[in-house]
Amino acid sequence: MNAVTGARDRTALFALLVRAAGFLVLWIVLMGPSLKDLPLGMVAAAAATWASTALWPSDSDVSVVGVGRFVLRFLPQSVAAGVDVARHAFKPSLDLEPGFATHRTALPPGMARGGLCAVMSLQPGKLPVAVARDGTIEVHCLDVRQAAAGPMAADEAAFTGMLRDGMRNA
Amino acid sequence: MTGFVDAFTVLAVGSGAIFFLAGTLGLLRFPDTLSRLHALSKADNLGLGLIVIGLLPHATSVSAGLKLACVWLLAQLSAATASQLIAGVARNRRPRA
Repeated sequence: MNAVTGARDRTALFALLVRAAGFLVLWIVLMGPSLKDLPLGMVAAAAATWASTALWPSDSDVSVVGVGRFVLRFLPQSVAAGVDVARHAFKPSLDLEPGFATHRTALPPGMARGGLCAVMSLQPGKLPVAVARDGTIEVHCLDVRQAAAGPMAADEAAFTGMLRDGMRNA
Repeated sequence: MTGFVDAFTVLAVGSGAIFFLAGTLGLLRFPDTLSRLHALSKADNLGLGLIVIGLLPHATSVSAGLKLACVWLLAQLSAATASQLIAGVARNRRPRA
C-alpha cells in the first residue's frame, strides 16, 4: 500500500516539475533568454506552478491524442465563429434572432467545467452566460434559428476527449 | 521569395484588420450587450490570429515567433474568460424576456 502511495507521490511530483519547466519556458519566451534574469524566472515559474495547483490538480493529466483532435476541431470552428460574426456585422440589414439555449454538462464543477465554457464561448454563435449547480449551462445564441444542441454536445465531447480520469472527476 | 512572403503578410494582416473592423461594427450594430460580446470575442480573435500568422514570417528569431504565438494564445484565453464574466453580469442585471 505504501509502495503504491509512494509511486503515486513520485508521479505527482514529476508532473509538477514538468509543469514548472513549462512555465519557465513560457517565461523565457515572453521575457527573452537572459542568464541574469533566470533566477527571477524560476521564482515566477514556481509561483505559477503553486497557483496552478488550485485550478489544475497535480494528479490530473491530459491525453495528447485528445488535445490533437481538439485543436483540429477547435481552430476551424474558431475561424467559422469569426466569419459568422463578420457576415452578420457587414450585412446591410441585421438578420439576428438572439436568444438562450441550455446544455446539461456531465463535467464536474471547477476547472473542467470552466474550461468547457471558455471553449464554447469561442465557437460559432454561442456564449455561455451562467452555469447552474446541476450542470445546466445557459448559453446565449446569436441566432436561435440555428441548431445549438448538437454542436454544444460535440464541443463537450471534443473537450472531454482531452481529459484523463483525474481531471474529469476533479 | 521575399515578394511572396511580403504578399502573404499583406494579405493576412489586411484580412485580420477586416475582422477587427467586423468586430467593431458588430459592437456598434448588434442589438444587445450579449450579442455585442459575440462580436468582440470571436471576430477580434480571428483578426488577431490572422495578424499573428501574417507577421510570423518576419519574426527575427524562433523566440520572437513563439512570443507572437503566445500573445495570440493569451489574448484568446483572456477574451474567452472576460466575455463570460461580462455576460454573467449583463444577464443578472436584466430580467430575462
